[in-house]
Amino acid sequence: MGSKFTETLENILLPIADKLNNNRYLGALRDGFMVALPFIIFGSLFVVLANIPFLDKIISENALEEYQSILGPASASTLSIMGLFVIFGIAYKLTQQYGLEALYGGFAALASFIILTPQVLEGISGVIPSAALGAQGLFLGIFTAFVSVEIYKFFVKRNWTIKMPQGVPDAVAKSFSSLIPITLTLTFFLAIRAIFSYTSFETLQNFIYTLIQQPLTSLGSGLIPTIIAVLLIQVFWFFGLHGQIIVNSIMDPIWMTLSLENLEAFNAGLERPHIVNNQFVDTFIVGMGGTGMTMAVILGIFLFTRSRQLKNLGKLGGPAAVFNVNEPLIFGLPIVMNPMVIIPWLLSPVIVTIVTYFAMASGLVPVSTGVHVPWTTPIFISGMLVTNSIAGAILQLVNLVIVVLIWLPFLRILDKQYFRTEQTTTKDQKQGRDDKIV
Amino acid sequence: MKILLACSSGMSTSLLVSKMKDAAREKGIEAEIWAVAQDKAESDMEKADVLLIGPQMRFLFKKISKVADEKGVPVDVIDPISYGRIDGEAVLDKALELIQKKV
Repeated sequence: MGSKFTETLENILLPIADKLNNNRYLGALRDGFMVALPFIIFGSLFVVLANIPFLDKIISENALEEYQSILGPASASTLSIMGLFVIFGIAYKLTQQYGLEALYGGFAALASFIILTPQVLEGISGVIPSAALGAQGLFLGIFTAFVSVEIYKFFVKRNWTIKMPQGVPDAVAKSFSSLIPITLTLTFFLAIRAIFSYTSFETLQNFIYTLIQQPLTSLGSGLIPTIIAVLLIQVFWFFGLHGQIIVNSIMDPIWMTLSLENLEAFNAGLERPHIVNNQFVDTFIVGMGGTGMTMAVILGIFLFTRSRQLKNLGKLGGPAAVFNVNEPLIFGLPIVMNPMVIIPWLLSPVIVTIVTYFAMASGLVPVSTGVHVPWTTPIFISGMLVTNSIAGAILQLVNLVIVVLIWLPFLRILDKQYFRTEQTTTKDQKQGRDDKIV
Repeated sequence: MKILLACSSGMSTSLLVSKMKDAAREKGIEAEIWAVAQDKAESDMEKADVLLIGPQMRFLFKKISKVADEKGVPVDVIDPISYGRIDGEAVLDKALELIQKKV
């Protein structure tokens, strides 16, 4: 590969990475999901505990039901209504970026979202359907967070606030200073709600769900779009840029929604609708030693190479790879800008994506239940947890073997090169020493 | 001497932190070294004498150096080769060099 070509590519990719990562809205989105993460993982943990396989064979049906109803509220109050946490997180972070009182921005978004949410379920009023705060409402929530903060900011910056005379305690003044911006922001959303109630969509939630969320999530759950997203992650990393941070900032709302819809189906005892989701990518593509499934490369190094450089790299990168941290390998092998490894680097994830997809489509391996495990969860454990089945771990093992085989010829060539240089340098050193003795 | 490292989630840079601490101890330098995720880099910067960014997040440099310039904290991207080798000594030297240059 010509250095001019890679240079041109990097000149294209770096500004894209810069734009996507440093975009105000995408940044708030990413940070907002981060805020929600501990709650999502807490809920996931209890979904896993409530659904331990074979539990129904050990205890009676009544006892199992009792056990599940005790654990149920854990995920019902966190994971299932994740929209609330995400929206508050996004709005808080965005308001903070604008240098305004973040707490008010966060709560204004939350109230705006509730205003837009249907408050009736099967004829009973005065209730908020929890599904509306989960998968169904996620896209609406993200938009509401952005728009409400912008409106809030607009009125605060215009100084449409009530000024308090000196001597009024600061906290009192603050609560009044946000009164007008919040009132106007919420009134705006109340008007939007009223307008949509006269349309055939009835709610804005329904409008966004039908026109934006549904088309985007069904597009994002396809095999080809997933391969493209995964390939993009690999290409960014090939240039030493953090691929997930860049690609996930766009894909996360889609992948998270797909996971959440799977979880709702799982909790209801129905068939999970989406093969591709957050866990599909996180656990089966990235969660095998890190991006590019580099656990396979570490394994290949230990089993099939003899050069000191690669052995040292294996020792250095091995422990981190267990927790899916692979920067030592990416920069140390190196994978970055190394034409020798571009074929296995790009090919492996595509093959693994296809194998995983069809293993799940054929029913050999269960589709992810939608529970969220931390991305540092080691291989095999993660596969088992997200599918609630040992088959998930077996699939990871199969994928691992596939990736080792894809890498093997290239690793051999690399090893030979390194080994030869090591031999000649040690020979030179020996000769140098002999010269001195003479 | 306070050295702050930043990457996407503060995980891979924390590998480097422990190696840098070892290197500092060997050299007899008293240094506080810690790693953060990118969203905390700006707020933690105030407590640091120098900020180093992981090479995989080098697209942060432009945005962060703007803030860092105002606060008078030198910033640079860690060299990818030292990063791959988790070469604590090389990165520590780089940090010391940046602090001295500022003075």
